[in-house]
Amino acid sequence: MIAQALADGIFTGAIIALGAIGVTFTLEIMRFANFAHGELLTWGAYLALVVVAFAGPGTPTGPFSFGWQLLAAALVAAVLTGLAAWAVDTLVFRRLRRQGAMPLTMVFAAFGAALVMRHLILLIWGPQSHYYTRELQIAVELLPGVRVLPDQIFIVGLALAAMIALHVFLVRSRTGMAMRAMAESPALAQVCGIEVDAVVRLTWIISGALAAFAGVFTGLTPQLHPEIGFNLLLSLFAAAILGGTGSLAGAVVGGFLVGLAENLSLLVINPGYKGAMPFLLLLVILLLRPQGIFGQRT
Amino acid sequence: MLSYLVFFACIVLILGMLTLALNLQWGFTGLFNAGVVGFYAIGAYTHAILTAAPQPRYVGNFGLPWIVGVLAAMAATALAGWLIGMLTIRLRGDYLAIATFGVAVSIQLVALNWEPLTGGSQGLARIGKPLAELFPTPFGFNLWFLGLMFVLMATIYWALDRVLMSPWGRALKAIREDETAAVALGKSARRFRLEAFVLGSTLMGLAGALYVSFIGFVSPFDFLPIVTFQVWAMLIVGGSGNNRGALLGALIVWAIWAGSGVAVAKLVPPSHAAQGAAIQVILIGLLLMLVLLFRPRGLIGEAAVVSRHVND
Amino acid sequence: MDRLKRVASVLAVTLTAALLSAAPAAAQGCPVKIGGILPLTGSMAPITKKIAQSAELAIEHVNQGGGVKGCPVQFILRDDQGQPTVGVDAAKYLVEVDRVPAFTGTISSGVTGPIISSVTAPSKVVQITCCSTASPFTLDGRSGGYFFRTIPTSKTQAYATASETVRRGMKKTVVIYINTDFGTDMLRFYKTAVTKLGGAEVIAEVPYTDNQPSYRAEVTRALAAKPESLLLIGFPKDAVTIVREWLSLGGTKSIALNNSMRTMDFVNGVGAKFVEDVFGMDNAQVAGPHVDAFNKAFEEKFQADTKGPGVHTQYDALMVMALAMNIAKDLTGPSIKDAVRRVHAPGGSVVGTGPAEYKKALELIKAGKPIKYFGATGPIEFDANGDVTGPALVWKIKDGQIVTDRIITIEDMQVLFKRIEN
Repeated sequence: MIAQALADGIFTGAIIALGAIGVTFTLEIMRFANFAHGELLTWGAYLALVVVAFAGPGTPTGPFSFGWQLLAAALVAAVLTGLAAWAVDTLVFRRLRRQGAMPLTMVFAAFGAALVMRHLILLIWGPQSHYYTRELQIAVELLPGVRVLPDQIFIVGLALAAMIALHVFLVRSRTGMAMRAMAESPALAQVCGIEVDAVVRLTWIISGALAAFAGVFTGLTPQLHPEIGFNLLLSLFAAAILGGTGSLAGAVVGGFLVGLAENLSLLVINPGYKGAMPFLLLLVILLLRPQGIFGQRT
Repeated sequence: MLSYLVFFACIVLILGMLTLALNLQWGFTGLFNAGVVGFYAIGAYTHAILTAAPQPRYVGNFGLPWIVGVLAAMAATALAGWLIGMLTIRLRGDYLAIATFGVAVSIQLVALNWEPLTGGSQGLARIGKPLAELFPTPFGFNLWFLGLMFVLMATIYWALDRVLMSPWGRALKAIREDETAAVALGKSARRFRLEAFVLGSTLMGLAGALYVSFIGFVSPFDFLPIVTFQVWAMLIVGGSGNNRGALLGALIVWAIWAGSGVAVAKLVPPSHAAQGAAIQVILIGLLLMLVLLFRPRGLIGEAAVVSRHVND
Repeated sequence: MDRLKRVASVLAVTLTAALLSAAPAAAQGCPVKIGGILPLTGSMAPITKKIAQSAELAIEHVNQGGGVKGCPVQFILRDDQGQPTVGVDAAKYLVEVDRVPAFTGTISSGVTGPIISSVTAPSKVVQITCCSTASPFTLDGRSGGYFFRTIPTSKTQAYATASETVRRGMKKTVVIYINTDFGTDMLRFYKTAVTKLGGAEVIAEVPYTDNQPSYRAEVTRALAAKPESLLLIGFPKDAVTIVREWLSLGGTKSIALNNSMRTMDFVNGVGAKFVEDVFGMDNAQVAGPHVDAFNKAFEEKFQADTKGPGVHTQYDALMVMALAMNIAKDLTGPSIKDAVRRVHAPGGSVVGTGPAEYKKALELIKAGKPIKYFGATGPIEFDANGDVTGPALVWKIKDGQIVTDRIITIEDMQVLFKRIEN
């Protein structure tokens, strides 16, 4: 039972981690709690749906319920969502930053943007659920008492690969280092000649792209509807804060912890209280370590 | 129309009370309370449990008089504010937000699951409306309630003003502006913050009690996170740090929410009501963004007061 | 910034104009307005789409058949967004500004409840809901008799479900249910029933909150009790997730569902071949020409089937409302309230669904003759509390289609009630 809950937690956690990375980036690099981040997940999922509608999800390859076409669709969606995220920033958030708006004004501008983005999807695609594929996978018993869908293993693998690639990028490449510099101190970064606008643009594209992947994976298991991103939003923020904002590792660890908390807790508590679990975990951790697990003490 | 406007005004004033309370916690004290709806819920349920008509299956429902419910609601939320404040005030800004948010989520879940006390998902009904026998018509009752709200709000507004200009209030402001200096002068930042937090929470509890005694029914679905987001939007739109801004924000944001529904119902035929509803929310989002793009500091941004001698 | 200012000004002007143009209508003039409140956005949106269409069809039939008191009917449908305060505000506006003599709505009891206590009862306006099943609303007198529903309360469905699971020998059942009044009501009545009837047993109960991306945790917990069967109570969107995860984790196919799952959204969402022989309950539409006429009219107009929660009951709610408004001596709340039960009077001539039948009904009403409305759900007879009872039906999925397995007649239901409650 515990093993199963652990496996489920890892799977849920992988998706939350992907989304939390974007949240933590915008929190650190732009000092901005992006309330609309969940909608980037949803848009990513639906944009991939459009591609799939033309090309199809592909015949199930191997043990998975989809073919390479879905991955290609996810990549296309990732690029488009990244660009969309940057577009929303240019239209709304950047104007506010230029006016020196307070962080909270930005948060609620994002809240308004989220309402618009979410209901545009409702308007365009309607409230009914959509599906990438009609296949229903039967879980494979990996270990005694632990059943996993092959799709889930793939998702965890892909998520980890994306995180490692991102880590390498941040540490090894110049642009990555520029991003980290901006996260530390925007003023100093500018003094060193780092072009703020370019870093901001890249931040949005990366956040949007990761969100799109998270959205596609959510939509795969098992359906898409206009609120899938929004329903994850609070878990994403809980994960980012749990891990200590500004840290890629933090977002990832936070994501997995939140996923595990949700799944393990149901073994002991009344399922009616499941929604409070990520926050309870957060409260406990913050009481012990107020800056989050990997956060820096200011 | 007048009858509706009276009703609308009552709701705005209740939401305004929440916004004023939040302004005390955030605008004047810098505490990012993202659990507004939790205190609202505690006040509401305390009042409901004490004043609702008795029901055999539930523990509470004592049918006590309205004023008892209101005072108990304030006391309960003060206590909750103190407990939660003790736990969370040390936390940094956004961390405090998510902690208080989690507390509010937990409170809502308790209301949802602890059926013998709160009625669970069924909620509690037949909550006594104050002086309902004297004002049997809906218009009459709403008008009387509006009068009551006006008096209460005016009192609270005036009291808050006095409190904020008192030595206590000035110490609070000093702590917010420059904590190090204030602490150097011997003020315990934590104590002041806790007191402001408790005071704000008590007001939120009062708003909760007033809400359920106005509507006559309470359920866990009244206390979902959207309410917190709406109250915060009201504060930001109106102008935080500013009591008039808080009230104006409550009016504008709620007017947007209600008015957009009316507008859409008029402009979109019922056969497309579902799309119209989506458009309504898009409209709400656009208006919120537009107001903030125009006035990033809020409609009545805070006047930064340095010293009254600055023009001497 | 200028462009922004222009956009904002246009929006502000439009809004203000719309609000100010809400001049209160003359009390008894044409057109007669009927109000509606539904969660058109939010987590219930998937099911309200069809319900709104059903409402539209009803109003169309009413107008084609002669309207109300010689006036055409104008339907005003508002969204409650699933939020109580929004719903109450919409109801108040409908009643006070649009001056609707009656309205229909809504679904979530968290919204219906406050509407009853702050608008319906105090303003004495008739409210007929298609879909809100919380039993206390009609049983404790809070609505003053102004609240009706064309859907039986969960008690009926729960008892019928119990009789079926007992009949099939479904022992050791785990119940996964939505943690709202609907789910908890159904569970409570179901447990009472199976305890009394014997032969089936609830070994574990797992509540869930709607709108979550995954329910593996709940499913895992349910499976830990080693059940032989599953009773799932909820709504299609999340039910699809739950059933898929249940099946993929090796859960049994012995599954019982509630009425809202009786929709192709559910069947196709899970995948027809995976839910072959899964069964569910619903309040029966008594088979007959009137039900068929409704189904046909709906399918023709919207190119979609009529399966889904609330579709039939919403049509009946509005038809009953319009008929009652014609029977009533005037369009005040108390008069309409008294007229509602006369829509199905003893010895009345049968009138069914559709514009022609409605026209016939109006002629009978004009001649002072009693009518007996047989709607899209069958005979609509309100008891003293404003509730309806009816037969139940067992449906199942066969070859990718939803078919009726058997009907539990009204008489059987009455016998069942006696067995359980005595």
